[in-house]
Amino acid sequence: MKRLSRLLSPLLIAALVIGSLPAVAAAPNSELVGTAAVLDASTIQQDREHIRDVLAREDVQRQLQLQGVDADEVQARVAALSDAEVSEMADRLDQMPAGASVVGALFAVFVILLVTDILGLTSVYPFTR
Amino acid sequence: MIRLLRQPGNARLAGVFMLALFMLSLAGCASTPSLSPEAARTLPQQTLLDDVPFHGQRDYQCGPASLAMALGASGVSIDVDTLIPQVFLPDREGSVQPEMLATVRRHGRIAFPLEGSFEALLAELDAGHPVVVMQNLSLPLWPVWHYAVAIGYDRPAEEMILHSGTTPKQRVAFNRFDATWARSDRWAFVALPPGDLPAGGDVDSAIQAITDFESVQGAEAALPAWNALAERHPRSAMTRFAQGNARYATGDEDGAIIAFRAATHADTELAPAWLNLGLLFKAQGNIERARHALEQAATLPGPWQSRAQEELASLEQGEESPR
Repeated sequence: MKRLSRLLSPLLIAALVIGSLPAVAAAPNSELVGTAAVLDASTIQQDREHIRDVLAREDVQRQLQLQGVDADEVQARVAALSDAEVSEMADRLDQMPAGASVVGALFAVFVILLVTDILGLTSVYPFTR
Repeated sequence: MIRLLRQPGNARLAGVFMLALFMLSLAGCASTPSLSPEAARTLPQQTLLDDVPFHGQRDYQCGPASLAMALGASGVSIDVDTLIPQVFLPDREGSVQPEMLATVRRHGRIAFPLEGSFEALLAELDAGHPVVVMQNLSLPLWPVWHYAVAIGYDRPAEEMILHSGTTPKQRVAFNRFDATWARSDRWAFVALPPGDLPAGGDVDSAIQAITDFESVQGAEAALPAWNALAERHPRSAMTRFAQGNARYATGDEDGAIIAFRAATHADTELAPAWLNLGLLFKAQGNIERARHALEQAATLPGPWQSRAQEELASLEQGEESPR
């Protein structure tokens, strides 16, 4: 996998750079400016952004697989993310809130959460409602 | 408990309560979230969206379950088992926020994140939109993250009504709900079919939500959403610009020209709208209008200026030496 991406990344970068050249150099085409391109447009560096995005998508795919997602689902999941979401996940998937950590291993924690439950600050134990 | 009090653990217990007090001061006081006078007057006393299907969660799968309910309410009937491989992270025993939004898109619905205020939440419910909320049911130090679907509220009783976990129509006091919701920075979204818009929220976040949807599902699917947004915000240049692009992508060139023109009227400095307008006129052979639009685009500094200048130059060239 790692070797594959090491092989693919330079090719991908080259393809993107070459692919982006004709828009600047070649004869005028009638392709319109897209909405997403304008929204993302703090862009003298748009092409570089694009490469970054592709690499970030690869990165998120790998991370999702590491977290136990099925290999044949990973691609479709990443494809549905927006560029901003992909870069956010590439940067900080580990710190993103998800699921429950184990609560109640400590008696002290149990008591505190019981008190906060009764005070209506938390909602951990169903029997306090 | 009594045994505990007699023992030296007494001090420990005291410490625990001190810590509890400390946590309380961190968490702030549990006060009933207030509404602005305007909202207090206009929002109905109670609302319950009775037709939101309930899907109970198993294990930690509150994310897939909440999505199944929100999608079901928007007309996509799907079960939790189908959604689990699409949004659940097995090793984290949970689902992350961006993937919740992305999964909505995969099923042909637009995820609109809400601005994150109690008032905005009630306004969506009043408009008939169930709202997926993220809560931390515990304290910041030992988080218990949870997704639930708000389906109604009862102002006289000061209660939210949620499809949550394994409990349909669970009633939770406003202040308890708001305290747990506030710990996710009041993260919430609605999942709507293209053409429906959230009750509130600014135009920019709606544009972003629809654009994200469009890049997954394509222009044809997104066009009704752009039309609806343009109807609600006729003076939003970016909306008309996006509408023009979607119309063009679906083969409606004349409609696209109308929309791009509206965009340039709304904001005379929106260079890409001038540029696209010029390109379309040029493709139609309407050289005069193409030149006018491209000239506008070429004078505006920004990332599209050079493209506009080239197009303008090639237009002049084409005129001088017709084949």
